[in-house]
Amino acid sequence: MNFFSVIGLIVWKDGLSELRSRENISSMFFFALLTIFIFNFSLPLDQRVAQTLAPGLIWIAFSFTGVIGLGRSFLAERDNDCLEALLNAPVPKGALYLGKLLGNFLFMLTAEVLLFPLFILFFNLEVNANPGLLLLVFILGTLGLAALGTLFSAMMVQVRAREVMFPILMLPLAVPVLIAAVQATAGILQGSPWAQYGSWISLLAVFDLIFIVIAFWTFEFILEG
Amino acid sequence: MDLLQKWRNAIGMTAWGVLAAGLYLSLVWAPADYYQGEVARIMNLHVPLAKVSLLAYFVAFVASLLYIWKRGALADNLAHASVATGIVFTLAAILTGAIWGKPTWNVWWTWDARLVSFAVLLLLMAGYLMLRSFVEERERAARYAAVLAIIGFIDLPIIHLSVTWWRTLHQPASFSAKGLSIAPDMLAAILVMTVGMVLLYVYLTLLYCRKLALAAQLAAKSEQRLREARL
Amino acid sequence: MCVTRLYASIESIGREITWNSSDLKNCIENSFPGLQAAPAPPARGMIAVEHLSKEYQHAAVLRDVTLSVNAGECYALFGANGAGKTTLLRILATLQRPSGGRFFLGGVDGVAQRDAARQLFSLIAHGSHHYDELTALENLYFSIRLHGAKPDEDACQTVLERVGLGDFTASRVRVFSSGMKKRLAFARAMLLRPAILFLDEPYAALDESGMALINTFLAEHSEAGGTVLMTSHNRFMTAQVAHRVGIMEGGRVNEMGVAEMRRRHELF
Repeated sequence: MNFFSVIGLIVWKDGLSELRSRENISSMFFFALLTIFIFNFSLPLDQRVAQTLAPGLIWIAFSFTGVIGLGRSFLAERDNDCLEALLNAPVPKGALYLGKLLGNFLFMLTAEVLLFPLFILFFNLEVNANPGLLLLVFILGTLGLAALGTLFSAMMVQVRAREVMFPILMLPLAVPVLIAAVQATAGILQGSPWAQYGSWISLLAVFDLIFIVIAFWTFEFILEG
Repeated sequence: MDLLQKWRNAIGMTAWGVLAAGLYLSLVWAPADYYQGEVARIMNLHVPLAKVSLLAYFVAFVASLLYIWKRGALADNLAHASVATGIVFTLAAILTGAIWGKPTWNVWWTWDARLVSFAVLLLLMAGYLMLRSFVEERERAARYAAVLAIIGFIDLPIIHLSVTWWRTLHQPASFSAKGLSIAPDMLAAILVMTVGMVLLYVYLTLLYCRKLALAAQLAAKSEQRLREARL
Repeated sequence: MCVTRLYASIESIGREITWNSSDLKNCIENSFPGLQAAPAPPARGMIAVEHLSKEYQHAAVLRDVTLSVNAGECYALFGANGAGKTTLLRILATLQRPSGGRFFLGGVDGVAQRDAARQLFSLIAHGSHHYDELTALENLYFSIRLHGAKPDEDACQTVLERVGLGDFTASRVRVFSSGMKKRLAFARAMLLRPAILFLDEPYAALDESGMALINTFLAEHSEAGGTVLMTSHNRFMTAQVAHRVGIMEGGRVNEMGVAEMRRRHELF
């Protein structure tokens, strides 16, 4: 079967399941919303402070989104042993990884795009930023988190204490993504010149590339060795 | 196994000997640092510990690659043992660093590239060990752990790089960890300690490998007894 | 190592991308009822297992299993719980690696040429391999497309009616009982028509009509030249379709004649 149609098929399957049950996106969205609430109650955020802290808070919320959503991405494959069917299918396993990655990425991005306006609302942020650039940073950052998350989520399918192990493994490795994404977001929100945050965006892109490639190569090994 | 045991014991004895010599050198023989006083002597512990932790992770990385390539139980045991001993060295490195940092810089901890990398290294090693203990099947645990070790090793330089960029953006490096120019006496002490630490690490890793092999055999024997009893 | 893997993955992507219509035709012929397009029954037999062994942490589950099933035969495997039947089946279905020995499916080495071997069989096991949130039809569509064929809505509809799920084609699998999920799994097998069927306790969770349906399907499959290897605890139903019977004991398989089985009923 055509490599890219496998990816499309997996995305279709995940998308359809998600559309019907809305489990993942809603849990991601509401959990991140709760995080924002808690920020508001626990941190003394006047307007100026909020403006400085905003990029960090946004990405904390997004990484929690990732931990919740990505950790569950292979759950559907566990019920009814669907993973066996995917393994036995005559498709390259790397394509499975990319399909899952794309699906997870789209879900996370959707939740983030819904979340960000609420963020601006709750913290009364002034945003004089280029929305296209902001979206680019969100995309690259989310892709990085999803790349790692999908890989580890596949590992965690049959591991005890799954919900705990997943963030423990994933978040330390995602440190460069978080640093770069926060810096880039801060630069964009403050309207700084490109030179100030351009290198962060390149770092994000390079990170994404490296880890998607590594995950693509090792995916089959992880699934069946 | 006998020859290996002899070698292992020999390495162990040498390690303790060298460490003893190194301790003597660092605590008694070398002069106190001009600026920092006696506190600088902790560097003789801290630097070797840090170097050995990185060595341990590197060995785990190579062993994991070997496992993916050849699937030998030896490579897998080596990776596991290396991380298990390495984590102790990492923790000790961080602690000695903090103990040195408080009188010198007046902070227990700061978020510069080196410390963040070490903190992440500690987390990675801990995660590796947790993963191994939480996966039931031996073979699957080995697979997952191998991938984790490889991804972690590739990620470490990226983390270091990103934190370096981050700190230079926010403030110029007000202090660098290598700020002190080392007198030749102290250099000798540190070198001796490093050699001793490496030997100690090798000894402990070999010992842990042996422990893993024995544990596997024990598990197999008890499984076999259970099966025979059932039949 | 990295370079060869890179090359292999690029090569496989390249192969997929330059896939053309004759490949599609081949694929359909091989997985749909054109069993004459399947590889000629190899000398070893359709399923050939040679001295297979499997150890979990040094404890042997399978020791020296040797059996061979020819095309058109249905081989039933009996044995106590925990004897290793499911393990053997999972190894043959390439879901696990054996510790030693070899096996061949349609002449293809199941370990060395795993991907090629996977084109030849379908596994129906305890998990029904369906997605709860998708409807029965969508699940079939997914499975068919996953195997690289073009799904035909009418064919799917017909098959679903045949397995007794005609009223549930548009219902989500979430509301299905385990027996219904099993029927859906068989519907999928009917559509994919693999050369080899691996069944792990197919009669479990099914009612009488379901079991009869399976036996009909298995009889048709055998007649068309397909091979079946199944594990079972249900002697009565199995006796109606099995051509050969084996008992798994102490990690080995001992064969017994079907007539003798029917006579003695001495299976655990």
